[in-house]
Amino acid sequence: MMGIYIFIFFAYLFGPLIIMSITAFNSAEFPSITPWECFSFRWFNEGKIAYDGQHLAGLLSDWRLHDGIISSLIIGAGVVTLSVPIGMAAAIVLTQVRSQLRDIYYSISIMPVLFPGVIIGISTVVLWDRIAGLGGEGFIADIGRNGIFLTILAQTCFISTYCFLIFVARLQRFDQTQEEAALDLGASQTQVFFKILVPYLSPAIASAAVIAFLFSFENYNTTVFSILSDQTLTTVIASKVRLGISPALSALALTIIALTIIAAVTYEVLRRRAEKRYAESEEKFVKEKAADNRINKKYKAGFRIPKGITAILLIVVFATYGATQIVKNDLYGQSCIDTADKKKKSKFLEQLQTLESNELTDEELSGGSLGGNQDYGDIFGDPSLFQDFGGFD
Amino acid sequence: MSADVELSDVSVTFGSFYAAKNVNVKVNGGEFFSFLGPSGCGKTTLLRAISGFQEPSEGKVLIDNKDMSGIGPNKRPTALIFQNLALFPLMSVSENIAFSLEVRGVSKEERKKRADELLELIALEGQGDKKVHQLSGGQKQRVAIARALAVEPKVLLLDEPLSALDLKLRQRMRTELREIQKRVNITFIYITHDQGEALTMSDRIAVMNEGELEQIGKCDEVYNNPLTPFVATFVGENNPLYGKVTGIEGDKAKIETADGQYLATMNESKKLNIGDESIAFVRPESLFIPRDGDNFDNKIDVNIESFEFEGNLKNFYASLKSGAKIKFSVPNAIDTSSITSGSSIVLGFESSKSVILPKASLAID
Ligand SMILES: Nc1ncnc2c1ncn2[C@@H]1O[C@H](COP(=O)(O)OP(=O)(O)OP(=O)(O)O)[C@@H](O)[C@H]1O
Ligand SMILES: [Mg+2]
Repeated sequence: MMGIYIFIFFAYLFGPLIIMSITAFNSAEFPSITPWECFSFRWFNEGKIAYDGQHLAGLLSDWRLHDGIISSLIIGAGVVTLSVPIGMAAAIVLTQVRSQLRDIYYSISIMPVLFPGVIIGISTVVLWDRIAGLGGEGFIADIGRNGIFLTILAQTCFISTYCFLIFVARLQRFDQTQEEAALDLGASQTQVFFKILVPYLSPAIASAAVIAFLFSFENYNTTVFSILSDQTLTTVIASKVRLGISPALSALALTIIALTIIAAVTYEVLRRRAEKRYAESEEKFVKEKAADNRINKKYKAGFRIPKGITAILLIVVFATYGATQIVKNDLYGQSCIDTADKKKKSKFLEQLQTLESNELTDEELSGGSLGGNQDYGDIFGDPSLFQDFGGFD
Repeated sequence: MSADVELSDVSVTFGSFYAAKNVNVKVNGGEFFSFLGPSGCGKTTLLRAISGFQEPSEGKVLIDNKDMSGIGPNKRPTALIFQNLALFPLMSVSENIAFSLEVRGVSKEERKKRADELLELIALEGQGDKKVHQLSGGQKQRVAIARALAVEPKVLLLDEPLSALDLKLRQRMRTELREIQKRVNITFIYITHDQGEALTMSDRIAVMNEGELEQIGKCDEVYNNPLTPFVATFVGENNPLYGKVTGIEGDKAKIETADGQYLATMNESKKLNIGDESIAFVRPESLFIPRDGDNFDNKIDVNIESFEFEGNLKNFYASLKSGAKIKFSVPNAIDTSSITSGSSIVLGFESSKSVILPKASLAID
């Protein structure tokens, strides 16, 4: 029962992502699974150049996407360097504030999370437009109208609050007598900060940095206003979607998912390794301490089937089925793409011819007695017109 | 190197609340001095005033005859051992011990050498690489002491450092602390609410109650000649006998209680007059079951209610005619098989072993 529930939950969670990922491998111009055209990596690479010269960019060749990613990375780095110290400072101040002031301070500090992102974006732009207008030409005017700079500021506004919350949670468990002990032993306030507080906060610093970066990278509603004439990854994607989505976006999504999974797995592996090393040193210590050799006995762990096995099996079965279907029907490789393109092209030509042959004669235009559809040669009556229409490529 | 510590009219207030009030005390260099008092009486507050974490609202703290006002805790020649030890959990034992040297910019080799010396002092040789959480309670205690000693402070301040330990370990650590103090020969100011701890370790003690000092003196002095009813009942056990003074003979006073008249010794500084409401105190171990030929100044008729066996002592709980309760202890070596619950006996005590003080509130424990 539990298993079914979990399966439904994960299917709900990951279903769309999986479907989208699969469409990245379909050579068709529109992301789809059925009809399956050909298995190809072209949306990861060059994309497709249509015969009318239009370039349907793939992931590798889409310079707008690249520019967007680069500005997203720059903005992410900027936001991390600003929001982590700001959040940390604000959280440390909170530990120093006593009495009712504390609640007020806390409420004010977390307020930016409650503001709509749109408002933060617009207000930043409005403010800096005024500031930029003050000093005429020069540095201030330049940065005041620099979308990347404004976006860093606008995002920091609310992302530093998330960092603040992370630091507050960690600091709540901090034993402040440690600071006093360090002071008493002769450390200056600066030394207390760097030798006691920062080491204690370092896990929080790491998670705040990661979260700040991720929030910044995926932000849209603030960025779309504050970025001005520049583009970030999210605004590029959004503007693309407005023109109709392309499988290159699926390819991008799959790449991001893959990177995330790799990062998560690496982190987990490293963590487990560190944990194991720690457990070993601990065990050594216990053994040293305990003369009792019952502790020293080794227990052999029995082989257990991991719980996730059904899910993995399911994925493997589907993947093999899909792969065999593709191979059997010869739906992969360059030859498949070529034939598909040719077919579409011929269909396109055919349709052009149909349209041309249905062009009205002068006679019909002048002397036509009938109104309605017949007057136009009944082109809309042609049942095969939009059938199998391959799109305007 | 040790230093005198002097508190001159020190008061510490939190709002309108006096956590310490007009405290005057001079601790001599090289002395083991204890502040003894019940929980919440302001001991930690006083210690924080000495170490510099808490500026006194009034009065001055002098260390080595230098006024310490405005000098921060990191600039004072004191080291504090916290009530919860406050070891640094992310550092190894050696790093903990050498922390004070590290922040002073002492070289790594020098630090290691000093840490090893101190590890030897606290009998933890070769355990410097352990993490703090891998140590036992008593070991942590000793690391905290070593860490405090690493700076070679002139004054070591200890805030109930043994309270978290079990009884056996506590007793062992008492001796160890005393030994360490003799070896390093610096001023120890020790805080405790455990009178046994204070009496066994200290050269002198100061008894505190509700922010005020009640008495300062050598251990036996405080025990034998308490200045106030609070001290009489907080340091060791004491049976109070309430009454009125009816006569004065030299340094003795006669007190009339509901159960009879007793003669007790007055304190030189707490002279009484006839008619004063007062309390005579007699300790459980000063009450005797008279044998043939014994002649005590005072006699009390009691009715035994119950008794308990403590090992070296047997404690009897009895009531007087008026209903007042009294406790007395008999060494286990004495045969008391004839005394059972319900039996009525006569107890005796010497007037020199009983103090009489003006009436005031007792320590309630
Ligand atoms: N920062 C503070 N603000 C307000 N009141 C305080 C503060 N610190 C201590 N007090 C009060 O001062 C009094 C004395 O506290 P202190 O910590 O000195 O007691 P203590 O004798 O050390 O007790 P314990 O044996 O329980 O440690 C207590 O009533 C406490 O509530
Ligand atoms: Mg205390």
